[in-house]
Amino acid sequence: MATFTDTYKKYLEAASAVNPDLGFEIETVRRLEPVLAFLYRDWFKVDMTGLEFLPASGPALIVGNHGGAMPWIELMLLYALMSSPAHPRRLSVLADLDWIEDERLYSLLRELGFVSFSSAHAKKLFAAGEIVVVFPEGISGAAKPFSERYRVKEFDWTKLLPAVEERVPVFPLASLGCDESVPILSNVEHLARFLGLPAYPVTPFFPWLPFPASVIPLPVKWMMRLLKSHPYEAAKSRHQSEETAKYLARFIEGGIQAELNRLLRTRIKPLL
Amino acid sequence: MDTWTNLQALKSGDALKSLARRSPTYYSRYAGEQDEFGYKLETFAKWEPVFRFCFEDYFKVKVQGIENIPTEGKAILVGNHSGGLPLDGAMITIAMCNSHPSPRRIRYLVTDWFFSMPGVGKWIKEVGQVRATLENARTLLEGGELVGIYPEGIRGVGKTFRERYRLIDFHPGFVQLAIATQTPLIPIATVGGDEIFPNFVNAKSVARLLKMPFFPITLGLPWLPFPLMFIPLPVRWLINIHKPIDLGYPPEKASDRKLVLTLAREIQYGIQRDLNELLRERKSIFTGWDDQ
Repeated sequence: MATFTDTYKKYLEAASAVNPDLGFEIETVRRLEPVLAFLYRDWFKVDMTGLEFLPASGPALIVGNHGGAMPWIELMLLYALMSSPAHPRRLSVLADLDWIEDERLYSLLRELGFVSFSSAHAKKLFAAGEIVVVFPEGISGAAKPFSERYRVKEFDWTKLLPAVEERVPVFPLASLGCDESVPILSNVEHLARFLGLPAYPVTPFFPWLPFPASVIPLPVKWMMRLLKSHPYEAAKSRHQSEETAKYLARFIEGGIQAELNRLLRTRIKPLL
Repeated sequence: MDTWTNLQALKSGDALKSLARRSPTYYSRYAGEQDEFGYKLETFAKWEPVFRFCFEDYFKVKVQGIENIPTEGKAILVGNHSGGLPLDGAMITIAMCNSHPSPRRIRYLVTDWFFSMPGVGKWIKEVGQVRATLENARTLLEGGELVGIYPEGIRGVGKTFRERYRLIDFHPGFVQLAIATQTPLIPIATVGGDEIFPNFVNAKSVARLLKMPFFPITLGLPWLPFPLMFIPLPVRWLINIHKPIDLGYPPEKASDRKLVLTLAREIQYGIQRDLNELLRERKSIFTGWDDQ
């Protein structure tokens, strides 16, 4: 505990300043910190840029592309923000958690900062000055097959609406590596429906290998690019904020896709 | 064999007459016209069957939204560039000549490099293409022509197979031109072109030596003897022509660089989004969007 407190002093201060009481537990983050650090530094070797665009305090929304079915991006972003030398911040993840029936998994995710998506939750987090990440492609985007890797699916603009209404700055996040670290061969929809899961991805390892081995991601080198926020005008009416959210969702989707294209063009070695 | 009838037209001698029979509106529109950029209807008529063969029988191009191109007046067509040999422009030209309610020609703006090649430069001019300069583009638009621009530039043609259907950032000049001349923009997404010549490596040093914009290593180039290496794969194409966009800004706004760049990005993102969607719906490279 002592070394954790020393290393993450500023993070602890920032995380304990306000707590919107949505289940976050610093203790769980402390226990998982070595795993996150290993994944971030040694396994994925994440090359993260653009954290300096985020405000030092106050709310912000990060909007990203997703892939690989597992929540590796969320965890890597969480670690990147907590270990940021300048302004460590706590991260809240707005995601669809309603399908989870296992209480242990649900509380583990909640303790790490996952919050079930709703407009009320989002506004509560913004009011508390939190940094929030959302992946508007939805679960079908997260489980996209390997042949469609890094092709962003249509963004659900309603995920951006709370931020537009609260006039929170929106930052695009392009992540390269997630789709290749878990190569999804196909999504068995029948089985997913039968088991009550949102998707049932089949990878070269899942479901063939015994449990922990089947979910280990490949050690692909990751690149994460946080881009500058796109300014938008404050909306005066409900209709106007919907239009702004729609425009913003389209523009950010395109911006992330263009950044992914740029990264793919200049990348030399995907593995290690 | 039905398949070869388009090529048999090549033997029939009088190309102009068969063009007049196939597309009378096109013929009467451009017959006997003196074009300052060197368009020659005879040359076009002579080559049209070759590209029509590619269009109808080889690539089996499906065109959506051809009615979005106006029957009269100026417009700028912007698209994703592809294919090692820029056949995507030719396919749209064929579609405009044969399946548009009021057939028209498209004047593509072509990079200088093609005009430096002996023979090719003259041919490109005669089938309707124009050297890419701002002045030429303005003159064409004043004449009420359809101007085709590929804002990715020649780099878009040299994309490797790994980067297929991933747009290179658009040069914003086309938006500036559209605002300055008050012309509507028509985005076009083309799927198929990036797979006809799978370009595995771009040999940059060879390209520099030969003063070429890129030097692709494909299935055929440089291994096979001359004409064989230019035989494309029979990929199924789809060309999706979007609705015209009237930017609605006054001509003075053309010098507002930030606005122009944002508009160019919006159009680029729209085309990329459409490409992603079309690729997701496609069943396979060689059968396209049909069930078979």
